[in-house]
Amino acid sequence: MRRSVSFAVFLAVVVLGASALTAPPRNAAAVAPQKAESAEVKIDNFSFGPSTLTVAVGTTVTWTNRDDIPHTVASSDDPKAFKSKVLDTDEKFSFTFTKAGTYPYFCSIHPKMTAKVVVE
Amino acid sequence: MSEGFLGTAAPLAADVVLLLEIGMGVGLLIGAWLARRKRFRQHAWCQSAIVLLNLAVILVAMTPSFRSQVLPRIPAKLGRPYFALATVHAGLGTITELAGLYILLCAGTRLLPEKLRLTQYKAWMRGVLVFWWLVLLLGFATYVRWYVPSWFANQRGFDSGRR
Repeated sequence: MRRSVSFAVFLAVVVLGASALTAPPRNAAAVAPQKAESAEVKIDNFSFGPSTLTVAVGTTVTWTNRDDIPHTVASSDDPKAFKSKVLDTDEKFSFTFTKAGTYPYFCSIHPKMTAKVVVE
Repeated sequence: MSEGFLGTAAPLAADVVLLLEIGMGVGLLIGAWLARRKRFRQHAWCQSAIVLLNLAVILVAMTPSFRSQVLPRIPAKLGRPYFALATVHAGLGTITELAGLYILLCAGTRLLPEKLRLTQYKAWMRGVLVFWWLVLLLGFATYVRWYVPSWFANQRGFDSGRR
């Protein structure tokens, strides 16, 4: 009888200890501040790459014009969520997505150039 | 913004303007031919309609596009061919359109005082026709540089190699 009680106590200690080790800390965010995320889209050869970019809310997306022709980045919705100035070669434009959703966009100089950002 | 119909990367407005401008250039040549055939009334109507239509195209389509896409980048980016071409085209085009309107005012109205009117009509008209076609060719070159990527494939390779 004493042996079985000792075994039950031992088992309880092991189970409690294991659960304490595997459970996430309640205030993890406060301990380790979340790193701001970023993503890149390359504009080259009259196209956006990648054509569909999936990012988390709060991500800053940076478009870089690697083409030798000016381009713009303009969201297709109305009113426009974002719109860059005319980007010459190697110029960049950044936008931080603060709301989830799908953001189709295009180049207002070359409307055949289309792509989208999916924010989850 | 709608896509164009000429199979290039241009928007619809740029394709429409290109075809309109080519049509107007040919129309002016027909108008000049009418003058040589001494059909001056038809000549006057033809050239006047084209100069006024071109003014509308400049105000409605070309100026807004130039203001949003080119003007903010000059003079800093004038060394780049696409900005330089568009700027020279815009500058010469403005001068030529103003000269065309001046001829129209002198020949077709009595709005200008006597001392401001033309005396050498033929020289002015021929000069404007030559400049008009020069501007048209520059406009075509601008269209190609901005909207036809395949024509500059080799240069792009050269540029990216340089980067």
